[in-house]
Amino acid sequence: MSQHFMRNWLPAILILVLGLALPVLIHSGFQLRLAMLICIYAIFGMGFNILFGLGGQLSLGQQAFFALGAYAFALVQIHFAAPLPIAMLAGITVSVVVSLVVAIPVLRLRTHYLAMATLMFAMIVHDVAVRWTGFTGGSSGLQVPPPVLFGMRLERIEIYYFIFAIAVVAFLVQIFIKSTHIGRALQAVKADETAASSLGVNVVRYKVSAFMLASVFSAVAGILFAIVSRNVDPSYSNIGMVVNLLTLSVIGGLASRVGPFFGAAIIVLAPQFLTGLQEYETLIYGVLLLLFITFLPRGIAGLFERNSMPTLALAQPNTGSTDAAKADST
Amino acid sequence: MVSLETLAVLVLSGLTNGSVYALVGLSLAMTYGASRVINFAQGEFVMLGALSTVLFVTTFSLPMSLSIPLVLFVCAIGGFLIERFAYRPLIKRNADPLTVMIGTLACASIMTGGALLVWGPNQLFVPNAFSLNSISLAGITSTPQQLAIISCFAISMLVIWLLLYRTHFGLAIRAVGVDPNISKLMGIRAERVIAFAFVFSAVVGGLAGILVGPFLGGHVAMGLVLTIKGFMAVILGGMGSPFAAAAGGIVIGLLEAVVAYYGSSFYAEPIIFGLILLTMMVRPAGLLGEWEATHK
Repeated sequence: MSQHFMRNWLPAILILVLGLALPVLIHSGFQLRLAMLICIYAIFGMGFNILFGLGGQLSLGQQAFFALGAYAFALVQIHFAAPLPIAMLAGITVSVVVSLVVAIPVLRLRTHYLAMATLMFAMIVHDVAVRWTGFTGGSSGLQVPPPVLFGMRLERIEIYYFIFAIAVVAFLVQIFIKSTHIGRALQAVKADETAASSLGVNVVRYKVSAFMLASVFSAVAGILFAIVSRNVDPSYSNIGMVVNLLTLSVIGGLASRVGPFFGAAIIVLAPQFLTGLQEYETLIYGVLLLLFITFLPRGIAGLFERNSMPTLALAQPNTGSTDAAKADST
Repeated sequence: MVSLETLAVLVLSGLTNGSVYALVGLSLAMTYGASRVINFAQGEFVMLGALSTVLFVTTFSLPMSLSIPLVLFVCAIGGFLIERFAYRPLIKRNADPLTVMIGTLACASIMTGGALLVWGPNQLFVPNAFSLNSISLAGITSTPQQLAIISCFAISMLVIWLLLYRTHFGLAIRAVGVDPNISKLMGIRAERVIAFAFVFSAVVGGLAGILVGPFLGGHVAMGLVLTIKGFMAVILGGMGSPFAAAAGGIVIGLLEAVVAYYGSSFYAEPIIFGLILLTMMVRPAGLLGEWEATHK
């Protein structure tokens, strides 16, 4: 019992304590900004965790919802001078509605076909953001007004706690989803759709719900990113964003609870240390990433978390040891 | 009304671009067929092929006939290294397929980073293997280099077909694609087949790089876009075989030519993405796909 607690909850509690104490420990605004980015990427990663880790649906288009949320958030503030909570709600709503419209046809596809279709969708969103200059501001994007909550303009530390609080809520929602019937149903869908439906799981409904939930997480991350960077531009939906998402999910630990925090910390902090290498940066980044996943193929959370969500056979691993993989994940 | 000549020009330019996408697509499909991994470093071999041509021909002043084998050899080594130091260790450690995919992305980053050190960030002129002077064939203007791309694609298709369907080794490759474990029980050295698929795909990518380099220009960051185009070709055609992927590549090339001619080229990109997305709704396993994806 206590070991179970140590493995599964201690890292979360440590992150909570560290997150609360962080503004006392660090002083520069730049470092606090990095901490905010870590929380934002962690939220983004949690959405992917629900969709891919739990539900087994590989989307390469999550950056579209990240961008849609952020653009809607910015546009509602610019055109209607909407207060912060209303603008956030608008961003989330737009993202969820679009995700529903996209999910219904797209989720008929599987594995790499689904990955490609979602990537195509995100690239269309990106192209529209670049080309519809009058509405989206084109490549230079839109300015986001400074965040004001209940008539008070938020200071940097307040913005940090605001973002951290949302990250904690997102984390709890992720755990809650995993431990309820939704999580079980999604895991059943991932393992075998036919078997799941024969057990009374409405496969389409759960896949679409997972897609919509993930889009909520992505939109929230996008909105918070817009608050921090004070600007929304097409880079929100470019291919680099989804590469970041996949990298953080893999190095944090696929389908683990606290993995997104660790993964986010690494993808935000590593480039800070690597910029000093100048023209060697890309090369060293690639080498370090390859070494990292070779020696920690289950990510950082794989070091301590035991009953993380089981890993998925996107395609059958091509080794003689598939049975070992199955034994590991049960 | 479209004149026959306009149509021929469109088809020719579509075939040229399409052949490049098809070459990347079929090399992706070859690797995928044996290893079940989409190699996100595949487009980097086109970059390596184009830029190594610059190195051997422009920098070392070697003749083209000697440079081409050297370029292909460099790419073969690259493919071998990816299989040995990225794919194999990850598979041995039972990594999730998505983790293996990130491993190939890391390789793409290593190749781009390495190329940046050798060739720098500027776009380089890639020497042409065939003449770029325009020739006229039945009223249609073309260049030998353009025709070389198309014929090279056709020859690659033929070679791959002969390899896969007319040799024992090809049978082994197809067997590993169906089930690596059972093929091992049949005495096939699955590891070697997979290593061969990586090396072969790298060589095909390098060949595409030599041929398309003079048109695109050599740039260290050109790989990722080509990987995505190749991946699009694979998915549009269907993941069943390299031939389906090649067909997908040709379709994308022709689509691009037609959309750019009729619509504005400004909106060509989102229109093509939209068309591919719609096609996928109608044919969820690709145009020629086996129903592998839905029946796995």
